[in-house]
Amino acid sequence: MNLFRSEEDLARWLGGRESGATTTVAKLSELAHAWWDDRVSPDWVPHTREQNQAILERLGLTGRFWQLP
Amino acid sequence: MDASDLDLRRRTYAHLVETGRAPRADDLGDRAEVVAGWRRLHDQHALVLNPWTDEIRMLNPFSAVPSAWRVHTSDRWWYANCAWDAFGVCACLHADGRIESSCPDCGEPIVVEVHDETPDDESLLFHVLVPAERWWDDIVYT
Repeated sequence: MNLFRSEEDLARWLGGRESGATTTVAKLSELAHAWWDDRVSPDWVPHTREQNQAILERLGLTGRFWQLP
Repeated sequence: MDASDLDLRRRTYAHLVETGRAPRADDLGDRAEVVAGWRRLHDQHALVLNPWTDEIRMLNPFSAVPSAWRVHTSDRWWYANCAWDAFGVCACLHADGRIESSCPDCGEPIVVEVHDETPDDESLLFHVLVPAERWWDDIVYT
């Protein structure tokens, strides 16, 4: 899970490998804050798969690529 | 995850946040008991152990070993496991921060300041190579 300066940098790095999913860094920050917000809380309990999938869906990260197992 | 494993996990993360480094097993109690608990937490994806040493490799979003993702926040430098986790370090500490890494292709530095959950450089692209259903097949690679 990386940051790239441009689509050209990403394409060179992939070198013919199938690309995964690309979003903006603003979306990444939203995702990280929704996903990790409670991680060091003393009251943390594990997220369910449904909770995590709901975070992805709320941010528009949908489709087969973003389906958790 | 039972109450004793939740408590071990809580103490493990608290040690990291307080000291800036992941604990060794004997920092938290009887080594054999702590390692057994860590293995159960590892199996539940609540942390990641180095399989050869039973030392902590990841307390997601933190990396317990040096990585390409450095984050300055809460008066300390931290290592994260990837771009997602780098933002996660700021998120879980509820603080602004500075993320430093480099472009995996060209090697040019990448520096992002995060203020009020917002990155200051919106030109960057976030890329995920591995589909979500396979993230935990090899979490270090992911």
